[in-house]
Amino acid sequence: MTDNDVTRGKKILVVGVGNPILSDDGVGIHIARRLKEIGIPGVDIEELPASGLELLDMVLGYDHVVIIDAIVTNGGTPGDVYNLEEGDFERTVHGASPHGVNIATALALGRRLVGDRMPSSTRFIAVEAADIVNVSENMTPAVAASAQSVVDELAAELTRD
Amino acid sequence: MSGPIINDTPTKTTEKKITIDPITRLEGHGKIEIFLNDQGNVANAYLQVPELRGFERFCIGRHVQELPVLTNRLCGVCPAAHHIASTKALDAVFNAEPTETAKKLRELFYMGQYTHSHIAHFYALAAPDFVLGPSAPANKKNVLGVVDAVGVEIGAEVIKHRSYGQKVQEIVGGRATHPCFGLPGGVSKQISEEERAQMEEMAKSCVEFAKFTVKLLHDVVLANQDYMDLILNQDAYYLETYYMGMVDKNNKTNFYDGDIRVVDQTGKEVEKFKPSEYLDVISEHVEPWTYMKMPFLKKVGWKGFTTGPSSGIYRVGPLGRINVCEGYTTPLAQAEYAALAKTVKDLGVTGPVHHTLAFHWARVIELQYATERMLELASDKSITSDDIRGVVNEPTEGVGICEAPRGTLIHHYASDKDGLCTKINMIVATTNNYAAINTSVNQAAKALIKNWEVSPGLLNKVEMAFRCYDPCNSCGTHALNGSPALEVNVRRADGSKLETLKNF
Repeated sequence: MTDNDVTRGKKILVVGVGNPILSDDGVGIHIARRLKEIGIPGVDIEELPASGLELLDMVLGYDHVVIIDAIVTNGGTPGDVYNLEEGDFERTVHGASPHGVNIATALALGRRLVGDRMPSSTRFIAVEAADIVNVSENMTPAVAASAQSVVDELAAELTRD
Repeated sequence: MSGPIINDTPTKTTEKKITIDPITRLEGHGKIEIFLNDQGNVANAYLQVPELRGFERFCIGRHVQELPVLTNRLCGVCPAAHHIASTKALDAVFNAEPTETAKKLRELFYMGQYTHSHIAHFYALAAPDFVLGPSAPANKKNVLGVVDAVGVEIGAEVIKHRSYGQKVQEIVGGRATHPCFGLPGGVSKQISEEERAQMEEMAKSCVEFAKFTVKLLHDVVLANQDYMDLILNQDAYYLETYYMGMVDKNNKTNFYDGDIRVVDQTGKEVEKFKPSEYLDVISEHVEPWTYMKMPFLKKVGWKGFTTGPSSGIYRVGPLGRINVCEGYTTPLAQAEYAALAKTVKDLGVTGPVHHTLAFHWARVIELQYATERMLELASDKSITSDDIRGVVNEPTEGVGICEAPRGTLIHHYASDKDGLCTKINMIVATTNNYAAINTSVNQAAKALIKNWEVSPGLLNKVEMAFRCYDPCNSCGTHALNGSPALEVNVRRADGSKLETLKNF
């Protein structure tokens, strides 16, 4: 995304993914809600509980999409923020869960089936989570701090002239 | 299109424990552990699943009217089912009879959920096994591979009709994924004639798509003798259990409302109960190696992971419902139900269908029913009435049950006089099936893995015994890299790891 896509009238979507009552799993949702409170002209902000085919429904018709979610990596430090691209997810293969279509598969499916309505760019901001099993509306301290940084940086980037 | 790859060549392993593990996170994931004995045959196999911690504590003290929107956050996959069961529990807590319009709107919404959910399962999860084959390469065996095999046009139809199901939920339920329209005694939102007409058109298209799906199942799966051999393999995919599901007063399947019927291994009715009576029928067994409890029929008792009349294990979901019902109220679903009944009768089956992989056929019949019922309700012009709220009384205690796509879903709440929650108990669909899923996994592993020989195809066939239940462990699995997958660990008798196969 270039700095002045907003002023050029490109359609931009920010999607927070996760469960807002599952501790750090909700980091994407919490970030999306704060961005919505700030209000960024020309940018749509949505929440999504699952990141498979539902994500595909949501991104259609946008030019640029930013997806924010929790991540758990081997040996990662809680609160670490990763900027990722679609190719980084190709190794997460669908599996046992009911509707386990992962992000890369969902986006690839979209390009195959409805390519003309797919965004030209999709990027991901992932925050390393510490707790994704305890039911709580609060994030752990390190993740909450990173969430605020992501909000500040993204808001600045999206409102830049 | 080339034929499906049903078998591959096993290789000898030297390990005694195999694990199938869904996701990369350390906790909150399910996995299958397979233990081999000294002869290299399966000694035992377990499915371990995650459980969210602290949900009950989170709910106690909140207003019970919050629960339909809180409980549906338990799951990113079946929030609509939680919303409906929760709203029905509130009807009972507040002794509030919903109006006719509200009942119709709730059921219409719910048919949207079934349409969306059953299409997604059949095409995204079952079709890779049945179109590409259980032993197709892992990197091809997904919905993209299915689209390559069946064509882009069909793929586009899948996406379109799945989103029609979502759209109906959004129109009626306020939001597609986390609905917010359920209130005790009714719903919060009236719909317009324009919205009704829009849903009627979408429902018509969904009925046709379900017809196509039924035909696809016949052409691709039932007409293929190799698949029929797999489905009819009684060593790997066959359990003589009890079955449970919701029926209307004529014992026809109903997803939204009715009594809960239980039949035995011969198809004889052994229980028929109201939601408020569930604790008289169901008890829960606890195993030390997993968080999830295992419900069983109280009067029969827990006898371990075994089947037959003396074991209280029952099955829910599409196979459970098709075995407890005496048909469907809509013509196309009834016709396909009759086709299934004739097929199994010709195979010499009397009574319930105990073949585990028949879950898939039952699910497709239910897709047909859901779309037909959606069309019936969306065509009813009375659903635009403003009579959407019934009378609400003082809060006490109550139980709500509906049939989630994966099976019977029970919500039970108690409230103080101010409406604050003092007790919450839920038995979710996959929990109802948990003992049976474990038994199925164990059975398939024992039948398919022998003499130290394993292969991705064989392990996938073990997974098929589990996948057909459409088990939902997704409550804790939303993280970006946590698209729930499965890991199989094969372990020696001493517990040391011999081989691990992951699909992530």
